[in-house]
Amino acid sequence: MSTTDTTPRARTTSAFDEELIPRYTMVERVNHWFGAITYTYCLITGLAFWTPYLYWMAAIVGGGPTARFWHPWFGIFFTVSQFLMFLHWSGDMEVDNDDRVWADNIQAYIENEDDKLPPVGRFNWGQKLYFWGMVGSTILLLLSGFMLWYVEAVPWSIHILRYVAILVHASVALITIGLFLIHVYMSTILEEGSFGSMIHGSVTRAWAWTFHRKWYYKVTGRARPTE
Amino acid sequence: MSQASTEIVRISGHAGTVPGAGLNREYQVCKLVDTTTCIGCKACEVACLEWNGYTFSETKFDNSYQTMPETAWNYWNLIKFNEHERDDGTMMLLMRKDQCMHCEDPGCLAACPADAAIVQYANGIVDFQEAHCIGCGYCITGCPFNIPKFSPTARKVFKCTLCNDRVSVGLEPACIKACPTGCLHFGTKSEMKELAETRADQLRSQSGFPDAGVYDPVGVSGTHVIYVLHDAKNPELYGGLPRDPHIPLSVRLWKGPLKWLGNLAMLGGLVGLALHYMRIGPKKEEPIPPEDRKPS
Amino acid sequence: MTNGWIDIKNTDMMLIMGGNPAENHPCGFKWAMEAKRNRNAKLISVDPRFTRTSSTADLFLQIRAGTDIAFLGGLIRYAIENNRIAKEYLVNYTNASFIVKEGFKLPEDGLYSGFDSATSKYDLSTWNYEGVGGSGEQGGAAGATGHAPEPVPGKVGGAAPPPHLPPNVAYDLTLEHPRCVFQLMKQQYSRYTPETVERITGIPKDQYLKAVDMFTSVRKDGDMKKVATIIYAVGWTQHTFGTQIIRTAAMIQLLLGNVGRAGGGVNALRGHSNIQGATDMAGLFDSMPGYLKAPIPADTDLATFLKRTTPTSSKPSPWGSWNYYANTPAFFVSLMKAMYGDAATKENQFAFDYLPKVDRDYSWTHIWDDMYNGKVKGMMAFGMNGVMIGPDTNKNINALKKADWLVVGEIYQDETSEFWRAPGITTDEQKTINTTVYRLPCAGFAEKDGSMTNSARWVTWKYAAVPPPGQARLDQDIIADIFLRVRDLYKKDGGKFPDPILNLNWAYADSAHPSLSQVAMELNGKALADLTDPVTKQVIKAGQQLPGFAWLKDDGTTMCGNWIYSGCWTEAGAQIQRRGTEDPSGMGVFPNWSWSWPANRRVLYNRASCNPEGKPWDPTRKQVWWNEAAGKWAGNDVPDFKPDSHPKDHMGPFIMNPEGVGRLFAPIGVLADGPFPEHYEPIESPTKNLLHPQQSNNPLVKKFKTPYDKFGDPEEYSIVCTTYRLTEQYHYWTKNNPMNVQLIPEPFVEIPVELANEKGIRGTDMIHVISARGTYTAKAFVTRRLKPMMIDGKKVYQIGLPIHQGYRGIIEDEGKDARTPANLLTPAVSDPNAHTPESKGFLVKIEKA
Repeated sequence: MSTTDTTPRARTTSAFDEELIPRYTMVERVNHWFGAITYTYCLITGLAFWTPYLYWMAAIVGGGPTARFWHPWFGIFFTVSQFLMFLHWSGDMEVDNDDRVWADNIQAYIENEDDKLPPVGRFNWGQKLYFWGMVGSTILLLLSGFMLWYVEAVPWSIHILRYVAILVHASVALITIGLFLIHVYMSTILEEGSFGSMIHGSVTRAWAWTFHRKWYYKVTGRARPTE
Repeated sequence: MSQASTEIVRISGHAGTVPGAGLNREYQVCKLVDTTTCIGCKACEVACLEWNGYTFSETKFDNSYQTMPETAWNYWNLIKFNEHERDDGTMMLLMRKDQCMHCEDPGCLAACPADAAIVQYANGIVDFQEAHCIGCGYCITGCPFNIPKFSPTARKVFKCTLCNDRVSVGLEPACIKACPTGCLHFGTKSEMKELAETRADQLRSQSGFPDAGVYDPVGVSGTHVIYVLHDAKNPELYGGLPRDPHIPLSVRLWKGPLKWLGNLAMLGGLVGLALHYMRIGPKKEEPIPPEDRKPS
Repeated sequence: MTNGWIDIKNTDMMLIMGGNPAENHPCGFKWAMEAKRNRNAKLISVDPRFTRTSSTADLFLQIRAGTDIAFLGGLIRYAIENNRIAKEYLVNYTNASFIVKEGFKLPEDGLYSGFDSATSKYDLSTWNYEGVGGSGEQGGAAGATGHAPEPVPGKVGGAAPPPHLPPNVAYDLTLEHPRCVFQLMKQQYSRYTPETVERITGIPKDQYLKAVDMFTSVRKDGDMKKVATIIYAVGWTQHTFGTQIIRTAAMIQLLLGNVGRAGGGVNALRGHSNIQGATDMAGLFDSMPGYLKAPIPADTDLATFLKRTTPTSSKPSPWGSWNYYANTPAFFVSLMKAMYGDAATKENQFAFDYLPKVDRDYSWTHIWDDMYNGKVKGMMAFGMNGVMIGPDTNKNINALKKADWLVVGEIYQDETSEFWRAPGITTDEQKTINTTVYRLPCAGFAEKDGSMTNSARWVTWKYAAVPPPGQARLDQDIIADIFLRVRDLYKKDGGKFPDPILNLNWAYADSAHPSLSQVAMELNGKALADLTDPVTKQVIKAGQQLPGFAWLKDDGTTMCGNWIYSGCWTEAGAQIQRRGTEDPSGMGVFPNWSWSWPANRRVLYNRASCNPEGKPWDPTRKQVWWNEAAGKWAGNDVPDFKPDSHPKDHMGPFIMNPEGVGRLFAPIGVLADGPFPEHYEPIESPTKNLLHPQQSNNPLVKKFKTPYDKFGDPEEYSIVCTTYRLTEQYHYWTKNNPMNVQLIPEPFVEIPVELANEKGIRGTDMIHVISARGTYTAKAFVTRRLKPMMIDGKKVYQIGLPIHQGYRGIIEDEGKDARTPANLLTPAVSDPNAHTPESKGFLVKIEKA
């Protein structure tokens, strides 16, 4: 197969293609959904505090004071999930040369011309970007969040930190919202099979071959065709 | 306060000018603190506690007469003491009653996310409505004077109300009532401003304080608590009164451009993703070609 | 106060020394601020510490504690040298022109003429005016008696009879006579040069000159319009020469013509709401109510007593002198009628024999010394925390250990009632203390009605706000209960001399619960027979309340519990309950607000606010004036003068003095330690007296002999220490009130930064302050408000500590402080005139705890 081959392949799958290979362990999946729920909570409450037009969202989760009470705690829970994800996946999140070529040609990915892209491992460059983006954001959110949570613990002599914190927290939250939207979109409706993988923990061989070919070779033990 | 609502601006079917229009009754209140006649007796501190129903807080001697380092959620009125030596070697014991300044442009209100948790009355009082407060503490960040304080028990933020409950029934704030030397005054903003300027003039011409002046900072569009200072050029000497207070830039960015940019970006992102799905559609898995089915 | 609190707003210049009104009298201090705001008045604060009063001052000078006379003496010198004096006032209203007897000697060596080193007493014969045609004795021989306070004739073997003032005094209105009071005063204070003042007080000369120039500027170019006031409190009184400091202030005010004038005067700020009232009712052992003298053993009968205590006028012959104390017999007899009612008759000398005769000093320090020496067996302590209040706490605690019984009437469990729990007393030792303590819960100030007399002499009625809690009782109920039981015992069992008890007038409607309004009416006095005024023909029926003390009689037809309070509760009602807020003059007189003694007069000696022709010195501050048409004095205030005395008669405005004028020179032992004040060092001082090293201290000061009466050597105890109160606390009460404890949670010691650095002490470090008598422990308050001083070329540190905390109170009970009372540092030595102990200047050393 060549990257210049533009002819759409017949979408017939065989039993071989439909055979399942494990992609996420139980622990990884539980942790992912733990992270997803805690993030969503923070998102809803955070948006409520963000603008009066969304203040109604606080009502969904029990009203303003309750929302305010749990938001930082859920932020901490989310951080815990992020830390576990880091333990689980950071090894697979290293960006290699293929990723860089992939990134240079991301337009093709957006336009569903994946064939024009170099094969990717367990995670593609976009996922890695998302992963590292979330890890970095979590650290920043945590630090700035503490300063918002315990604002009086920041001595008045360095109260400029309070000002920095409030900007950082909002800006970084916005970045994560962007990443989060793309992540949800892609993993639910854009890339068929992704959502299931986070539920059942497994993907078909075809899915793995289509979207994460290097990983497919690695986990199935099949050799990459020699050039 | 109530005249505000009955001031006539327009009259139907009426030829000629509106009687009383432009009369501009002033109903903006103001507290004047003349630090040059304050004796640091703390009567205002006690009056504040008693009127607002707060009791004993445990304090600790800290090499000062000052009751505690800064105001607390249940201690809204604090005299800040500073031993200051002037250039000519003369000693000064500067004493400034610290409390909410009731800014015309209140940073706390700008920062507050909770509907109706902070209101500014037409008379200038900025009041926290604890029933609506969610305890986020953004007001603490928004305040350039370090005034609102969080109560860990109530999980809400409290501060001086300028005795809104007293003022609304025609009484002066409790601190004013208790002040023995008359260093505290209460009246309309223009009256207090005039009184303050007169006193500052007197200090400049009679008492050897060429830099005496009135503290009514423009950065927050003026305040409803104003000070007469011996040295208006160095307000920091008075227990850290900020030289040029204003709503923090970060709060303005956050509540201004960042909010609209952020909202736009979020909305744009949702629309963009929807368009992407409609135009390009989902990614589907493909059958594995035979060469890749072979075991190596 | 000669004037009043509100009157301070009328001043142009304030010298505040020995007092810290911003902290201790904050409500009254508003008038000082008013004066600053509305009159551009200047405020000079002179204090060992930079206080909160100093923070509002135009000029602050740090003075070494106890050198006030040097400061003020230098001020007198400056005013005279620079002609900043009120010449016309001085000549006409003071004894400046009076000529002093030959043989009087100024204290160049520290002693006035007549000192007997064997008895440590002065022979007062030279401290007198020259009589016309002879000496004072000759004047006295002509029938005049002077106003001599307490010589003890007869008792002091072979001593001459007390000197008397001459009726006709030699004088020189040019003030040039070398022995006239003015020249002697000038000579006395010529030694107090700015350089000397600097060496003694530690105030740099340039600062000192700035202050004295500022103060005397009110008399610049002889202008009489401006007025200066001098304000003080116990920072002056609590010295072994305290009365003399105040006298120096009085002399300055006479010299500058500030007495009797709105915004002027010499103004004592009282430290408790009713301490003025306590003094008025005979607070001291040697006085009777209304400052009448108490009888002494030499007063063998009423006539002798009255002759001794009733002055006759003594003045230049062309002048008049009302000599109001000539009415002493009327005041005294009326008092006896109030005390003994029908039992006081002309026949029994109005029960004069019932009165104890004061044979020696029974003042505060003596009471404790007597108890320590086993002579006083029991004590009733009401409304005061004896252990904490006085000097040398350890001595007082040890004295109480030796007493048989102690009764304490208090609202809290105070240190006195728990003296046996003082720090350092072990449980084993407690078992050996046999003093029986009776603790009587009393009503607090808000739980009882009655009158309070403030510093301005206003007698104001107050109402009970709440009833006393629990078993607490009103003080008068407790006293009545004790009295009635004692009387019953005397009735039943008799006794050596039961008459004074059995015949005591106790004519209250409810004898077990005397109402204070009835007591107030008794103080005012009533007619016991129909009285008619010879001039106005006004009639007062028997049984009616008297309109004022002018009606008092010496024949037993009037009774009055305290002559100066006569007028407080008349037939027109309780004047002390009035609440009129009218102030027609705008000078803060408020004539219809409560009532002030004497005769509702708000400024004493107010005749002196006018020139000799009877016209106000300052027409914009008219107090009283001569109304030629009506032929009498009129005013916004009640004239303190004979109402119809025409100015041309030249009656002196100081009607309580036999001279009719103010005394720059205090003759014949009015003050025991000298006719002019002289600078003496505190008993504990870091330096010898620079004026006369061989006589450093007041020669009349007595030291006790117990092991607790030790004094520090300046080599070892080199730091000058003073004590004070804080605005946040009230004496020893409010340490029981959480709100006050919150404001000042712990005791502290204010020490200069330089001393702290030397000793390696940082703010909030625990330190010991050690005097020869005890060790006080508290946290260090390192401050720049106290600076090291140069005293005669030697660096001297000054520290200060508040007196409030002890071993009972909120934090004390929680063990959060060292529980040491401040007064365990202070010495039990006192002023020979007012008997006030010296708490405001003594020596200590400090070390880190």
